Amino acid sequence: MSGVARALAVALAGAAAIACAGAPGVAVAADAPGGARAAPAPVSAVDDRGRTLRLPAPPARIVTLLPSLTETVCALDACDRLVGVDRWSNWPASAAALPRVGGLEDTSIERIVALRPDVVLAAGSTRALARLESLGVPVLALEPRGLADTRRVLDAVASILGRPRDGEALWRAVEARIEAAAARVPPSWRGRRAYVEVSEVPHAAGEASFVGETLARLGLGNVVPASLGPFPAMSPEYLVRAAPELIVADARTLARMAERPGWSGLAALRAGRTCGLGPADWDLLVRPGPRLGEGAERIAACLSALGGPAS
Amino acid sequence: MSAAPTGATGATDATDALVARDVEASHGARRVLHGTSVAIPRGALTAIVGPNGAGKSTLLSVLAGLHRADRGEVRLDGRPIGAWTARERARRLAWLSQHGEADGDLPVREVALLGRLPRHGLFGAPDAADRAAADAALRELDADALAARPLRALSGGERQRVLLARVLAAGAPTLLLDEPAAHLDPPHRRVLVHALRRRAREGAAIAAVVHDLGLALAADRVVAMAAGRVVAEGAPGDAALRDALERTFDDAIRIVAVPGPDGAPRWVALQRD
Amino acid sequence: MTRDAPRVALALAAACAAVLAAGLAAGADGWSAPWPDDAGLVAGIRAPRTLGALLAGACLGLAGAIAQGLFRNPLADPWLLGTASGAALGVTAALALAGGGLALGAASAGAGLGLAGAAFAGALAGVAATLALAGGASRPVVLLLAGVVVGVTLGALSDLLLLRAPDALRGRQAFMLGTTGFVGWSGVALLAGALAVCLPTALRLARALDALVLGEAGAASLGLELPRLRLALVAAMALATGTAVSQCGMVGFVGLAAPHLVRRLATLRHGPALALSALAGAALLGAADVAARVLAAPQELPVGVLTALLGGPYLLVLLRRGVRA
Repeated sequence: MSGVARALAVALAGAAAIACAGAPGVAVAADAPGGARAAPAPVSAVDDRGRTLRLPAPPARIVTLLPSLTETVCALDACDRLVGVDRWSNWPASAAALPRVGGLEDTSIERIVALRPDVVLAAGSTRALARLESLGVPVLALEPRGLADTRRVLDAVASILGRPRDGEALWRAVEARIEAAAARVPPSWRGRRAYVEVSEVPHAAGEASFVGETLARLGLGNVVPASLGPFPAMSPEYLVRAAPELIVADARTLARMAERPGWSGLAALRAGRTCGLGPADWDLLVRPGPRLGEGAERIAACLSALGGPAS
Repeated sequence: MSAAPTGATGATDATDALVARDVEASHGARRVLHGTSVAIPRGALTAIVGPNGAGKSTLLSVLAGLHRADRGEVRLDGRPIGAWTARERARRLAWLSQHGEADGDLPVREVALLGRLPRHGLFGAPDAADRAAADAALRELDADALAARPLRALSGGERQRVLLARVLAAGAPTLLLDEPAAHLDPPHRRVLVHALRRRAREGAAIAAVVHDLGLALAADRVVAMAAGRVVAEGAPGDAALRDALERTFDDAIRIVAVPGPDGAPRWVALQRD
Repeated sequence: MTRDAPRVALALAAACAAVLAAGLAAGADGWSAPWPDDAGLVAGIRAPRTLGALLAGACLGLAGAIAQGLFRNPLADPWLLGTASGAALGVTAALALAGGGLALGAASAGAGLGLAGAAFAGALAGVAATLALAGGASRPVVLLLAGVVVGVTLGALSDLLLLRAPDALRGRQAFMLGTTGFVGWSGVALLAGALAVCLPTALRLARALDALVLGEAGAASLGLELPRLRLALVAAMALATGTAVSQCGMVGFVGLAAPHLVRRLATLRHGPALALSALAGAALLGAADVAARVLAAPQELPVGVLTALLGGPYLLVLLRRGVRA
């Protein structure tokens, strides 16, 4: 038996040695930009993991794996540099026509590498990140949670594109739209608490999420406090007890909400104080990107249409 | 404790492969053996009989070193059974289980070859001598035609013969068999008895728990058990043993002699109506 | 139906070779010739992925064969002793820590270990918990029950974690479906290393599995110290399964079906059966990986779904033919 133990120990040591050996990577060269800028200057950006990515020149071939990142790149006027997007990116139409590389969990590594990107913008929580980096593809992990994050991500994208000032300008434009939307919200809605449902578990968008913070800019409160995290799974009983005065969800989910057992107890649901956004409008609200201001406008329009939270 | 007047006195360790003295054993909380003493001599076939629940299988397991006794001692080849390593014990003693829990897709040939495992060890491999022994044992028990088939595919009788072959192939000097004749039809019971008698003549110590008294009476010695104790032992030729056997089975049987094919008397047990 | 071990081995090896060739030609858009334009893709992506699928399948096939021999049950699979639930918990915890709802700053803690490392550590922890609960490997029934308890408990723990960090749900779902899409050369090295340790160990101990055919007591009567042998076999099973699950997530049915396939093809003792089960598992998972890439190109199907779709009907066929359990 000791013979087996010895053999096991030796073999385990060998396996550990193999594991520590580096993996050969596939080098991906960064193309020189063919854009309008005069001289290519090195660019850098800091991602969610705190890592700084440095490129010798602004990337000319970009792949994005989050719709909000796609929209950010296009809003920064670099849409022509996109060579591949994820399957959920659908705005603008030009981006929707680009080659799809899958979602966050079934990313097609081969497709991405075949597109020879200079940088890949992805959410931090996908396994594709590690795999791409091991293949030598530069990656930025960007996944905003709150509004401050959204701004930071926007700045990071602008930095890597070599246009930090355009990023600031874009964010100011977004904020301006949100402020304008806030001005159009009827005063009777100020301080009223809303419940925003983002998925059918149900997951809610709480105070700490970018959705919640946007609604806060519109003067709305949230039944889900920041202490529960940005997108917690809620118990229906909690929601009924919290008695929100406004319910925000996508139109299809909203239509089925009253069928859920016990949910008819929600006064807002019974009284029709709801904002059900169609798919295109819903994307505006739940993507932490440059079109967030338009999402705020939709909510403001809905609130105006509802009149007031009269009981 | 040997209570009946028998011809066999407490035999010495020199001629006995296995000796149990005052063994008490339990299954969980239930005491099964209440102070059993028995000796299994070399060169003889010893049958262990008794009514259901008498503790025969437990005694065999204790003798085989597979079940720990609460009290008393068991000596194998002169040494306490716990003093032998598992492998040494396995080389001296082969044991056949009563239950049919053997099952699997192993080819019959390999099952028989398992008997040689104590000789070549877990990390060794069977050699030509091992294979020859396994094949010979299969032939002896008329199971060589089954050699390539998986154990799982065999009938009860075929399986029993293969398992017996495994025990015989081991070539161990001591054999402990629990219900070796189970599932066997008369021709194969005869084959079994011949195989066991041959080995006993060659010096092996063989103990077999049997339900069939006719089979027991074909042995050299019979040990009768009841309620966890040995109540009688002796040769089938002893009248005292035969009386004790009839008493042990509540006089439900009568042991009579019938003329055998070679003229010598054979003992059979008749069921009283 | 060949009954000769070498012939079966040759057939399975040929299947693996065919899978390897197909894997090099299966690209993101369906079939595509590997040379000359796609050389980089082939070397960097398709080759390690295909090899990884073959090696992971071999690990799972081996682990399944060990499990079925250890527990003398043809329905045993590598996930019995807490590996699946442990790995899922590890993945969920890593995703939760890496910013799936909890402090964003703790991202680096999870990042260093990686999802693969978390899955591996979780799988081994699950087995360790099972062994601890069962008090060692001396009683197989107790071991099985402990595995069930650990599975349920760890599953509940990871569900609790998910409530707190709902963003981890997506990642965990993907993990549960199984994917070979992220296996690189380092993953191939790890899988090869695990196989290089586990296969010889299992082969050395294979005769103990043969002896177990006689039952617990029968095997003990042959002079074998079963608890230690079982522990060593469980360790080999855990290492192989843990490595496979860390690279490819939860892939079902390969561990269950590979030993069955070998039993249909030949009647063998456990030594050759274990090796052939590894080979069969490699062919199965390798083929599923190629199918996952090609069937719905350019979309990639989760390989675990494919193995389940193949494995389910296969088991049904076995049942109808009367599997003598």
